[in-house]
Amino acid sequence: MENKERILNAILDAGEIMLASGGEINRVENTIGHMAAAYGYARVDVFAVISCIVVTIRDGEGNCATQSRRIAARDTNMRKVERINALSRRVCREKVSLEELEREIEDIRHAQGYSDWTILLMYGVISAVFTVFFGGGLGDAIGSFISGIIMRIVQKLGIWLKIQSIILNIFCSGAAALVAIWMVRLGVARSVDMIVIGNIMPLIPGIALTVSLRDLLWGDFISGLTGVCEALIKALAIAGGCALVILQFGGGL
Amino acid sequence: MIQAVIQTLMGIIGAFGFALLFNVRRGKLVAVSLGAGVCWVVYLLVYSNCQDKVISLLFATMAAALISEVLARVMKAPVTILLVPILIPLIPGSDLFYTTSNLVRGDAVQSAYYGSLVLKEAGAIAFGIILVPCIGQIIMKIWRLLRNILQGGKR
Repeated sequence: MENKERILNAILDAGEIMLASGGEINRVENTIGHMAAAYGYARVDVFAVISCIVVTIRDGEGNCATQSRRIAARDTNMRKVERINALSRRVCREKVSLEELEREIEDIRHAQGYSDWTILLMYGVISAVFTVFFGGGLGDAIGSFISGIIMRIVQKLGIWLKIQSIILNIFCSGAAALVAIWMVRLGVARSVDMIVIGNIMPLIPGIALTVSLRDLLWGDFISGLTGVCEALIKALAIAGGCALVILQFGGGL
Repeated sequence: MIQAVIQTLMGIIGAFGFALLFNVRRGKLVAVSLGAGVCWVVYLLVYSNCQDKVISLLFATMAAALISEVLARVMKAPVTILLVPILIPLIPGSDLFYTTSNLVRGDAVQSAYYGSLVLKEAGAIAFGIILVPCIGQIIMKIWRLLRNILQGGKR
């Protein structure tokens, strides 16, 4: 009996990592279903939404076990999604002992990604690149690079101070807009607009919006609506931060 | 023309940057970035023919989905982890920003214009993502059916 709860717990861990790392809802549900079936459970019922997973498994004798898991924070970590996916394929293919499964999942949970310095550099690069993408010049790109990096530093600081994420978005975009105005005043860049539009690309939840619409079309209405709502609120916060700073210091936009 | 080349290059670098943010593994970074370049080229080609942003996005997304389905089979990886970074140049992030930015500054007309644009664009992308696997399934089904009929005929 205890063993069943332990297996269920391990499988839920795997599902939790996948959902919290940006896996699609139906992929998470399928993965949990396949893994439970591989451990010999006759029937598996999975219900996953964007912030919660509930699983009930039933063995051949009709004994059931149910556990639920709350998913508090999400980000996008493709490496973890890929590794959980590979692990579930392996579980289906061969016999993996429970101890090994638990060890693997812990290993994936604590997997290291790219270093903070790489991410910092990429914030600058993405900002600069999208400034040019939307029609900015070289000077704008340089200004955008600097303000993208400063935005990441503000974000990191905010995460360290545990500032609520919507408020933090306001601060980040505000800081970026402030640096953008400063860059134009220094004469490095020409257009505040161009810098700001490049800057907000790492923050703006465009992907979240698109992915949530896909969930909606797929029939996951709760997750889809939650995701669309979250994306809209975030976008509002980002625009709010920018607009506050620009109206205060920069004149028009 | 030169504008298009610069834009494509920037799309490739941007997708590379986002792939790093999303923790895509090293071996897949180059493939993902090139895929993003190809799908932006498809967008520009369709756009130069029909001058419609939404239709172009639909076709470019279908190209992206096709590329990532093929890459996923070759690299033995889930489709999403390739598809999301490849879609980066198409994502209507700037229009989403203009929607909320105009709303915050009180320009309701502009905000509504950009808002409906964003819904159409993101909807087209989402539809394209779903359409490709569905078409793939139908083709595979018909292919198996035909093969069975042909082999049955030989015996």
